[in-house]
Amino acid sequence: MKNRLKVLRAERDWSQAELADRLNVSRQTINAIETEKYDPSLPLAFKIADLFGKKIEEIFIADHGK
Amino acid sequence: MNTILQLLSSKWMGIISTLTWILAYFIARGILENDQLSEGLRLVVALVPIIPFALFLMSVLAGIRELDELQRRVHLEALAIAFPLTMLLLMSLGLVELVIPLSPDDWSYRHVWQFLPVFYFLGLAFTWRRYQ
Repeated sequence: MKNRLKVLRAERDWSQAELADRLNVSRQTINAIETEKYDPSLPLAFKIADLFGKKIEEIFIADHGK
Repeated sequence: MNTILQLLSSKWMGIISTLTWILAYFIARGILENDQLSEGLRLVVALVPIIPFALFLMSVLAGIRELDELQRRVHLEALAIAFPLTMLLLMSLGLVELVIPLSPDDWSYRHVWQFLPVFYFLGLAFTWRRYQ
């Protein structure tokens, strides 16, 4: 699954650690999501969407070819 | 209840309980290997490390509850590596034992159990690499 997390974070000038704090997860988790090595659970995806004030599908894009 | 959970899951509690357990293990092993105590007392000494281990276990469980979803997944995958490796080790030792008599001075339970945390940490290292 692709995502725009890194772009959205950069727009707000947040570090990975800062975003991790806001989401109550580790910085490694943010890094793994941004590098698309880990797909977050639905509750975490909703939390991310809420934080950025967007819909889940505006942040996470299904990668059907993968 | 939350305070107890926070205390148990704290980093220091984890370190202290781990060190206490390891220290208790080596002290018990040292006493059992060298001292000439009565069998009853030796049995008590052999079982004493269970007490700090219980604290260590509570600390681990409380710590796991504090982890986020990726960290939990990493630990689960590490266990999924460590568990079959442990089975493989025990199975192989069992079969080898039928061919060559294994010396209890090298291959008793007190030696073999130490491979388990090694397998677990190998599993952790391998799994973390996947997500970094």
